[in-house]
Amino acid sequence: MAHGNGTNGANGVNGKNGTGARNLVALQLGGGNDYLNTIVPYENGLYYDNRPAIAHDPERILKIDDGLGFRPDLEPIKRLWDEGKVAIIHGIGYPEPNRSHFRSMDIWHTALPEEIGTEGWLGRVIRELDPKSENVLTGVNFGRGLPRSMGVKGVPVASVGNLDTYGLYPHIQDEELRKYALESFAMMYGAKGKDAVMDFLGETGQNALKGADIIRTAPGKYSSTVEYAENPIAQDLKNAAKVMFADLGTRIFHTQYGSFDTHSGEIFKHDLLWQDTARAVGDFWDDVVEHGMADDTVIFMFTEFGRRVKDNGSGTDHGSGGAAFVIGDSVRGGHYGEYPSLEEKDLLEGDLHYNNDFRMTYSSILEQWLGLDAAPIVNGRFEQFPIFKN
Amino acid sequence: MDNDIALTAHLMRRAGFSATRDELERYTAQGYEATVEELLNPGDPQVMPEDIIRRLHSSLDEGPEGAAAKWLYRMITTRCPLEEKMPLFWHGLFATAYSKTNNSRSILNQFEMFRRMGLGSFKDLLAELSRDPAMIFWLDNNDNHDGAVNENYGRELLELFAMGVGNYTEQDVKEAARAFTGWTLGNVDYMRVKANKDSFSPFGRIAWHFQYDAADHDDGVKTFLGETGQFDGEDIVEIIARQPAAARFLCGRLFQFFAADEVDAEGERVIDEMTRSYFESGYEVRSVLRTLFNSAYFKSERARFARVKNPVELVVGAIRQAGDFRSPSLAIEQVASICFYMGQGIMRPPSVEGWHEGEEWIESGALIERVNFVSEELSNVDLPGVRRIIERVAASNGATMTPDELVERCLDMLGPVEVSEDTREVLTSYAGRLGNIDLGSREPGGREDRRVADLLGLIGSTREFQMA
Amino acid sequence: MAGLDYVKTIGMISAGGRFTAGRGFTGPYALAISGDGRIYVVNRSQIRICVCDFEEAWLGSFSDGPGMDDGQLYLPTDMAFDSQDRLYVTDEHQHRVSMFDTEGEYLGRWGEHGGGEGQLNGPSGIAFDAEDNAYVVDQHNHRVQKLTRDGEYVSEWGGHGGGEGQFDMPWGIEVDSAGYVHVADWRNDRVQKFTPDGEFVSQLGESGGGEGQLNRPADVAVDSEGYVYVADWGNERVQLFDPDGEFQGLSRGQATPTKWTEDFFESNPDERDTRAIANMYPDLPEHLNDPYRASSQTEPFFWEPVNIHVDTEDRLYVTESRRHRFQVFRRA
Repeated sequence: MAHGNGTNGANGVNGKNGTGARNLVALQLGGGNDYLNTIVPYENGLYYDNRPAIAHDPERILKIDDGLGFRPDLEPIKRLWDEGKVAIIHGIGYPEPNRSHFRSMDIWHTALPEEIGTEGWLGRVIRELDPKSENVLTGVNFGRGLPRSMGVKGVPVASVGNLDTYGLYPHIQDEELRKYALESFAMMYGAKGKDAVMDFLGETGQNALKGADIIRTAPGKYSSTVEYAENPIAQDLKNAAKVMFADLGTRIFHTQYGSFDTHSGEIFKHDLLWQDTARAVGDFWDDVVEHGMADDTVIFMFTEFGRRVKDNGSGTDHGSGGAAFVIGDSVRGGHYGEYPSLEEKDLLEGDLHYNNDFRMTYSSILEQWLGLDAAPIVNGRFEQFPIFKN
Repeated sequence: MDNDIALTAHLMRRAGFSATRDELERYTAQGYEATVEELLNPGDPQVMPEDIIRRLHSSLDEGPEGAAAKWLYRMITTRCPLEEKMPLFWHGLFATAYSKTNNSRSILNQFEMFRRMGLGSFKDLLAELSRDPAMIFWLDNNDNHDGAVNENYGRELLELFAMGVGNYTEQDVKEAARAFTGWTLGNVDYMRVKANKDSFSPFGRIAWHFQYDAADHDDGVKTFLGETGQFDGEDIVEIIARQPAAARFLCGRLFQFFAADEVDAEGERVIDEMTRSYFESGYEVRSVLRTLFNSAYFKSERARFARVKNPVELVVGAIRQAGDFRSPSLAIEQVASICFYMGQGIMRPPSVEGWHEGEEWIESGALIERVNFVSEELSNVDLPGVRRIIERVAASNGATMTPDELVERCLDMLGPVEVSEDTREVLTSYAGRLGNIDLGSREPGGREDRRVADLLGLIGSTREFQMA
Repeated sequence: MAGLDYVKTIGMISAGGRFTAGRGFTGPYALAISGDGRIYVVNRSQIRICVCDFEEAWLGSFSDGPGMDDGQLYLPTDMAFDSQDRLYVTDEHQHRVSMFDTEGEYLGRWGEHGGGEGQLNGPSGIAFDAEDNAYVVDQHNHRVQKLTRDGEYVSEWGGHGGGEGQFDMPWGIEVDSAGYVHVADWRNDRVQKFTPDGEFVSQLGESGGGEGQLNRPADVAVDSEGYVYVADWGNERVQLFDPDGEFQGLSRGQATPTKWTEDFFESNPDERDTRAIANMYPDLPEHLNDPYRASSQTEPFFWEPVNIHVDTEDRLYVTESRRHRFQVFRRA
């Protein structure tokens, strides 16, 4: 692993252009995406038997191979698949699947299925990439509040709800007044404190100010021919693109979209969610290509669980066994894991049986893409998929 | 008088959620010890009525944020703040999370139990905690069977809730767990399936109730902490409550929550006194806290501004001072989310160990949220509490004030808040950029008011304001 | 004495979040029935108006919110049809009334925030008389306004207080077949009856949890024979009074599975099987046995019965916001 110095103190890893650092964009499909209706086994009669209310029309499926196809609105992702840039990890999950949103997402976030963990796996990655927290922007979340996957004590992460107003005092409309307040804040937090706690507060406040000042420069530097949609996921990915192209040393990007919790009205709801998501991902990738970052960027798209095999007359309830996607020019496109059997005898309490631990995929990304030792991050050593080229 | 106000303000930051100047004056007039007694013996809290809240917010308690919001209304409007502060303490100690239970109504019932019993006997509280449906599910006691013991609750009871590592053996854990077999939920199989799947179908969630299953209770002889008998759960908590280690554990936790993040030698002596009160009173939390609040240590200057405010204290305190949310508003759910963004989601403690208090609240993202929330509340001239502060600032001196005087008055009315010389200098320069201020000609919400409010917002941004 | 016979339950929860769609309700808050018998249910948690029929056929939904644009709803409170099958929806956050046709086409709106004539502050109940005059409960102005179907002010009565003809945060409203106006005087724990011009006639109920007593009544309905039904919201029950206001009977609810829930259990046998052995009417410890908590733990009971409606066949529909369904009864 070669370390180089990017801007703002970030450590770079053997990439080809930009800062020379490899980026990971984690996109969480919150709420439990329905795997069966995303990668559709359109030649399997059991699919139609189990999905009387919500089966896709096989004519409209974007067929790939092995009797599988993308749902119709995944056209932008199918395009990348055809270019060999999409790895689909089939049947991803973990032992004794948990079908509760919060708990299962916690498991994905902390890489700890058996007990309640306190450190997020991406937070650990950020700590590895920037052990001295030299760059408060090594990890950036697009959305408000810190996702558990990025939370590790002492690891700064910026959570950007609105990139244009990110930072202190967004409520102060008067620019002059806001500038004055920010200067006052800088002076107050910059002064020597009376004790260690005050000093720590001061240092943290200055870091927050510095991070906000830097990140707010991103929109001004951005120009692109790509036109994103107006929905939240498109805007979050557009903001991620702005930060990425501004060369601020950010390596780990995180955002989420949802809710994919399609208990009812799945046909309509799942369509709209995927129309938004697929287009946003396609546009984002075009933007990445346009800015010469395609060799340095990978998208990892995941969800906390799949859904019941059998529909409930209107949608699907919480299940297990899902799919994850890894997308990028450096990715060796194709199928990983196995598409789980729909035979009743093979189901796990009415759900698809997972056949590979999600920590295998984490480990593959960490070792092959980010050049990190995966074991301490994912709490154990796991077999890897050869997801990446070379 | 000024010192008394400062002492009262200190008490209210710790035993309550900060207080307005008007409240502080009322408390100060009745005296410190009388105020301690008032806090320890809650009367009519006059909180925002439940029906008024539910009229606007149907289903508010369905999810964790809404349920948190419901509790925030109480914290914001109560006249008996310690009655709400105790559940916050117990929630941190007996940290039960939504993430596994998926049943916020049941966790709210647990909070109500903390409110009802949180100042009384520690033994009774532990007994009720052991029967609490949310706790039972959270720590798997519904899977603790005669002949197939699940130790989770028994272990955490000893390790995290009442004794601390080093004061019991592995055998004690097993024996305690045996004694709690059969303490389970009604309709346990259905409730387990629903919770594990986070299922709200078909007709929404169903709150839980306790059930004692005698057939599943191991009524054999147990040896626990050196005593032998046919113990059940009641006996176990009775034995725990009389252990010096339990007294020490509880008093230490109370000390850290109410007095100081770190315990020094003098703090240890206060804890000794609290421990004596614990036994003299028959394990009564109220007596222990009386000893703490009336101790010279707690009242001393060094105890002031010595704890980092936890997010709920910070947020509720700012709202109370600003006079926001005096009637129901949809924005309350956002406030619950903001506490979560700051690191303290009610019903969302990171683990059964609760939150790590003190310096760990301070992280750059959380600090941005803290500063933004408080400064926006305190600088909003449309809020009645902010208006009241400005009115009192205006009335407290001559009509025309120098920046120095304005800063002094504002710091006084907001706390009093004690700030360093450096901070004061910055505040004064900020206040002074438009020269002296004439509040004689002020119009409510007008230009002068906004100038004062901007300064209040900046005071809310200071490092010192982060401290309780 | 008359009582309430249970007929059936219709409904089930639908998933929330962005793009809520499909069969089910989320926080149903009011119900209205069109001339051809279609049932319209407005939802308060995931804002939209759902349409189904008595045989439980799902007919779709419209007006997704929350939003402030024309045709959108933010905090809907009640609905009523006029004689022309025009659907009126009050919204206590928008302070206005939106109109739709039976296909969900937006037709317009009236009302604005304020305390003057024709202005509204937190409108809640709405009902029409035979001449298509609208009676709108103006919650925070503590009054009832009578307006034309297009929102032209006609008259008003009320005022804040506990005396006859005064209100404290009134909620539901009903115009009976004789033209009398009944108002659920929510925070006064009573239902008041008025002439069409707002002259006080009588009242029923007093504070409490006993028979004939009320705790924050949310809505009132009157059947063809003049029997009065009250959604006793705070007591989590429905009470029946005869035309003279004498207590006749009550129900706490007894919901049963619906066609929609049967489909759910079909694909979730783990829930079906464990539910089959559960006692759905558990004995509860005293501290968890007040009406609200009992309802939170007893799924067949009403939980937040916010709205009641009597159809042309004198069937009573009780809409429960916390249980995502309505239960149907008939006077015995």
